[in-house]
Amino acid sequence: MSSLETDKLTTACELDQNLQLLRQTYFFSVVPLEALKVFSYLCSRERFKAGEYLFRQGEDDGQAFYIISGTAVLERKGGDLIREIRQCSEGEFMGGLSLMGSMRRLFSLKAVSEMNCLILTREKFTRSLSQFPDLMPSLFKALVGAVDGWEKGFLSGCTDQRDECLQHLGVSLL
Amino acid sequence: MPKADIPVVKRSLLSWIFPGNVKLQLLLLLIIAVMVFARVLPLEMQKRVVNEAINLRKVDLLVTYCGIYLIAVVCASGLKFLISIIQTLISERSTARMRKDLYAHILTLPLGFFRKTQAGLVVNTLTTELTLPGNFVGLSIAAPVTNLLTLFAFAGYLLWLNWVLALVSLSIYPIVVFLVPLLQKRANRANKKRVDAAREFSSRIAESVSGIHEIQGNGAHAIENRKYNRLVDNLLKIRIVWSLYRFGIKSLNGFFTSLGPFLVFILGGWLAIKGQLELGALVAFVSAQEKLFDPWKELIEFYQVYQDGSVNYKRTMEYFDEEPDFILEPEDREPLELDGRIETHNLSFVTESGISLIDNINLSLISGEHMALVGFSGSGKSTLAACIGQLYKHTGGKIQIGGQDITDLSKRDIVNNIGVVAQSPFIFDGTIEENILYSCEARLGVTEKDLGDRLPTLDDIIATLHQTGLFVDVLRFGLNTVLARDHNKDLMDTFIRVRKNFQQTFGEELTDYVEFFDQDRYLHYSSVAENLTFGTPNQASFSDANLCRNPYFLQFLDEADLTRPLLSLGVELVKQSVDILRNLPQDAIFFNQSPIEPAEMDDLISLVDTIKKKRLHDFSHMDRQKLLDVVLRFTPGTHKMVSMPQMLENLILEGRSLFRKQITEDDPGVYTFYQMSEYIFSQTILSNIFFGKTTTTHSAAQERIDQSIIQLLVEEDLLERVIEIGMHYDVGSKGDNLSGGQRQKLAIARAFLKSPRILIMDEATSALDNRSQARILNLLETRWKKKSTLISVVHRLDTIQNFDKVAVMKAGKILEMDTYNNLMDRKGTLYELVGNR
Repeated sequence: MSSLETDKLTTACELDQNLQLLRQTYFFSVVPLEALKVFSYLCSRERFKAGEYLFRQGEDDGQAFYIISGTAVLERKGGDLIREIRQCSEGEFMGGLSLMGSMRRLFSLKAVSEMNCLILTREKFTRSLSQFPDLMPSLFKALVGAVDGWEKGFLSGCTDQRDECLQHLGVSLL
Repeated sequence: MPKADIPVVKRSLLSWIFPGNVKLQLLLLLIIAVMVFARVLPLEMQKRVVNEAINLRKVDLLVTYCGIYLIAVVCASGLKFLISIIQTLISERSTARMRKDLYAHILTLPLGFFRKTQAGLVVNTLTTELTLPGNFVGLSIAAPVTNLLTLFAFAGYLLWLNWVLALVSLSIYPIVVFLVPLLQKRANRANKKRVDAAREFSSRIAESVSGIHEIQGNGAHAIENRKYNRLVDNLLKIRIVWSLYRFGIKSLNGFFTSLGPFLVFILGGWLAIKGQLELGALVAFVSAQEKLFDPWKELIEFYQVYQDGSVNYKRTMEYFDEEPDFILEPEDREPLELDGRIETHNLSFVTESGISLIDNINLSLISGEHMALVGFSGSGKSTLAACIGQLYKHTGGKIQIGGQDITDLSKRDIVNNIGVVAQSPFIFDGTIEENILYSCEARLGVTEKDLGDRLPTLDDIIATLHQTGLFVDVLRFGLNTVLARDHNKDLMDTFIRVRKNFQQTFGEELTDYVEFFDQDRYLHYSSVAENLTFGTPNQASFSDANLCRNPYFLQFLDEADLTRPLLSLGVELVKQSVDILRNLPQDAIFFNQSPIEPAEMDDLISLVDTIKKKRLHDFSHMDRQKLLDVVLRFTPGTHKMVSMPQMLENLILEGRSLFRKQITEDDPGVYTFYQMSEYIFSQTILSNIFFGKTTTTHSAAQERIDQSIIQLLVEEDLLERVIEIGMHYDVGSKGDNLSGGQRQKLAIARAFLKSPRILIMDEATSALDNRSQARILNLLETRWKKKSTLISVVHRLDTIQNFDKVAVMKAGKILEMDTYNNLMDRKGTLYELVGNR
């Protein structure tokens, strides 16, 4: 079979596209190609209509999302009040922590426009991780970096140092 | 005959010989007596042939004696064969009984026993170690009696022929009798070591297999290989020593017995020369003496089987010689109907290694009261629940259930009154129905035949499925079932009716989630084969599995110019699939998104190696067949490792019409093509209702689909029928075909269906989503409160407000216990826990 023929078959197959998308995330950028190919294979794509929830507060859905297209809003319910936290849009990846261990969502993510997402489940991730034991240190490093980076970013953007919220900060100290 | 109440581990090996085998053993004795006579008779005939027929030159005597000789030999051989059959029967039956009784005993042993015992050891014991003791039981009567009788008969005959010669030739046997036991003692010692080493060896294998994720996760292959190799080497040494002793015994026996003829020839020859012994008598003597060897050899072998079998049996029974913590059935009374009161006084549980897990627990629950056990991990919540459920035997204090001391209650009393849902419930291989009825069936405690209509009805089961939220899951299993062709025709007609209603009511709404079968469109969620044939084969040779080797279909592919592009796609598909999957475990979760099966992996790896440097036209017939087989299963919507070229899609669409035209002309009955008015036998019920396939697995979309399907099925009164079909869904080994949530819901349903007076739930809803968890909590609140007592080990503190009591545990003690509100007002440990959550 000619290489041209092969190229025609494989170019732009969904697995390759997934691989390119995952490489752009902080979490998977540290993963070597061989393992990344497996994760890309195990991903699935799902469409969400406006108003549909990608995940809900209090649930342990065990999924990581990469937003390929569309926009969603992050919500937090307290009592009867639902507060919109921020918008999440194309290119955003969330759920690295959720892949590493069981946790119930503290927020809900609701599609505000039609969305196309790449989804990887914790079960698939952890079961294939056992085939790539060397990955763990890099993934931990990436996660620690992300947590640290998040708090630094928060502190540098926080102008009012007397804000009561600051008293509860320190997630990077965990 | 041993009494039935003697535990199997206390029975001696000899106690298995007669019970259940009396008739066979007596029959054996009778056959043996006849056979021994038939064995001795030829010796006398030999003598008479030489002394009377040959010496006197009488042909008629020669014919008579030879005839008797022949009959005796045939009889002896036939009877020997009959004896072997009976021996085998006794051996196998005894081994089977030992296995059954020991297995029944093992199942009753305390849970603590299984913490120190690997599954592999139990498997090895039940499959291997009891074989030799069973063999001994088979031989126990036949071997010694046959061989001793034969031996004595021959010895007597020898003494009758010439007592001096006989005594000289028999003189070697006492030496053997003295030496063999000496060697056997050493062989026994080696065998004991072998049994222990084999036990450790099988435990190690079981541990490695069950911990394979950890081994691979840590890359600890070298460590595990080292541990395993050490055990193999140790076993090797022990086995060599054992075998050397065994062969030593055989060689020693062989050496001494072969000295016999030497003595006979020396002495007998001298006597014959002197004229003190007839030549015929010498021939008969030599022949009889040679025949002594066989029974003697068999006796020695029997002795070895007895010794080895005894060692195996003793070692095995000693290992499992433990008492169950509680008796299984009540003695001299009916099982008790207990009320739901639970009381503990100074309750404690200390492990064998002396670690105190719970200490001085005092609690009291009235019938129908609900209590949540909360606290940090390792605080003893699960241990307390397990002690109350009689899963662990408490080591101090007292537990009373319904006013009865738990130590006086049998397992039957407990299972009749208590239902337990574990955090990681075990689901057995079988159907949903079998698993859901498991507890009820166990409570009835009768054989399968006697169950009759004593099990819960389908209505009861469906009610429980609703209560636990398993209903929708079972409905999906039912909808994803491919019905057999001989299924009820009316049912299929009804599904076709539902299909039409679906199209009218929901067709448009669910377009995003369903790819409808359309003669003019390429179907991305159907396989290449389905796209080409667009119908259900009515002949096995056209089934999906056989299509790649069906000459008619292959010729069609050639004519439609499809062979080459399909093979090209197949090459890439196989290469990519093998590249991704070759190092992954052969689990469905990894293979679901590929067109290849785990069992094909090895073949495909070698196929990839073979075709690596070849061009399409160089591929062998077998290689082409394999590639076509894979590519015909390729479903672009699910298998994402290669993309389907647009050109090939168009070719396949053209091929579809061509195939339909050709096959309709050549053999019209081979296919039933997809039509709105026909049931499609190769597709699931859901695909039949949709007249298409779902394109999503996401839960939100699934819910929307479920809602519409349920509405349709209710309208047609079909819901129960589909649930019934779904109840036959195979959950797989350990429930592998179910999600964690489904396994937990199934376990809860299993306990609920039993309607126990006391329910113990150990983090039983931890794997459930919010809604399912809320449903269970609501159910406990509305249907179970005041009726059944509940002890629930709870991790999520936002779910405990409605419990009558909350007990907060730390380090094996209850720190505080009261209603939720009182504890929160008191601002103690619960308040802190809730605040920190």
